[in-house]
Amino acid sequence: MAIGGSSRRNDESGIRFSRTFTVALFILSIALIVFDRPQARSPALASMRAGITDLAAPLLDLAAAPVRGLANIGPYWDNQARLTEENAELRRRLNETRYWRDLALQLRDQREIYEQALNVESATTQDRIGAWTLGDPDGPFVQSRLIGAGARQGIGQGDPVLNVYGLIGRVVETGQVSSRVLLLTDLNSRIPVMADRSNARAVLVGDNSEYPRLDFLTRNADLQDGDRIVTSGDDGFMPRGLPVGQAQRDRQGRWRVRLYSDQAPVDFVWVFPFEPVRSPEADPATDNTESGDAELDAQQASADTALPDTNPEGESE
Amino acid sequence: MRPPIDSRPPFGLMVWAVISILLSLIFYSAPLRIANGPDLMPMLPLITLFIWSTVRPRFIPPIVIFVVGLLNDVLTGGVLGVWALAYLTALTIARSRDEDGPSREIGPVWIRFIVVLAIAMPVAWGVGSLAIGQLAPVRPLLIESVASGLMFPLLALLFIRRRNLRGAFGS
Repeated sequence: MAIGGSSRRNDESGIRFSRTFTVALFILSIALIVFDRPQARSPALASMRAGITDLAAPLLDLAAAPVRGLANIGPYWDNQARLTEENAELRRRLNETRYWRDLALQLRDQREIYEQALNVESATTQDRIGAWTLGDPDGPFVQSRLIGAGARQGIGQGDPVLNVYGLIGRVVETGQVSSRVLLLTDLNSRIPVMADRSNARAVLVGDNSEYPRLDFLTRNADLQDGDRIVTSGDDGFMPRGLPVGQAQRDRQGRWRVRLYSDQAPVDFVWVFPFEPVRSPEADPATDNTESGDAELDAQQASADTALPDTNPEGESE
Repeated sequence: MRPPIDSRPPFGLMVWAVISILLSLIFYSAPLRIANGPDLMPMLPLITLFIWSTVRPRFIPPIVIFVVGLLNDVLTGGVLGVWALAYLTALTIARSRDEDGPSREIGPVWIRFIVVLAIAMPVAWGVGSLAIGQLAPVRPLLIESVASGLMFPLLALLFIRRRNLRGAFGS
């Protein structure tokens, strides 16, 4: 049977379909490409995409389940001989970590006190949300992961996503029960970062290679091989200080980052819903700037009138 | 006229076609890489579309090719329309070369699939590069192409009955 009723034959071989309809589909494909380019992605197409991935999410999860089991069996047999040694090492590290945890809690309390004292409101992350990876196509055009949690769990666009070792990317599409994470290695990924040691700023730019590069470094940026790179939070969409990787030079002498997250497969991830710091333009409170200023002026004026004119001659001095 | 490929009623066969195409999309998109092993997933949707368009061409009208390509784009997070256009181009050209009906021997069918791959991949690469505004890396496409070419006979044989093994596509 032919589409459009223009088939030449009815048997299985040599069947022909409507040429007009085929050409229409070609044109539709090209139109979709134009309207879904990363530079000019249509919101309607993005929501349609999120809806379809929501539908596919349970099936992808089901398909991935046996492989998750296999992935756990493989390393177990590979490392059986080293498990005891590794266990002892992990116990030692755990004890060490307890000290750092206590210190971190202590510092957090101190920071809260300082913030209260200074009346500073800093950007904060809420509780993390755990999710399994449902799809991991490393295609030539996009490096992303589909995860099994979405808006219903509290995930929003732009939220940072980490695995056990470090940042892997940020959420770019959110459905009800699934989200798409753009990896740091993707061509379209741009994350403001800094060196932990020197605060040297840069932008981490994905280029589909294993090691994203550091762009927009100042000429005399204080950066050394092995420097710990963390998010700077300069864009206001990501919290400051999330671990990213280690700086290292490539053969051409350009700075790149060896991602911490590469130490483990991106399998189970945590999303950190983040309330970005709002710009003054977006903050409704700033609408009262003029009235606030007027209030301040009024207070100043009343203070001035309340003050006795003790030294009128002083003005002439 | 050739004997029918399968004695099952067309409705059952059609259901099997739909299921196999959906499964190919799901398995292609699901995280099936074990630990840190290499990503050697063949282009399952293209293989499935090609096999069905060879065995039962009327099951695979252009709209089906378009929809499968579109779902492929959605599930892999790529630019919508890239794989739809690549699949449409490759399979339309392959069909136009077989007006008298394609050969159903595994050897020639394999060669035809290689030709389809050789059309689809450059189209996808070129259009995808235009869409993202820079040259896309070639390596992932090459790996997928080689994996698809090598695994094609194995996957093709899964679609046919044992009695047809000698003349793989029902001759």
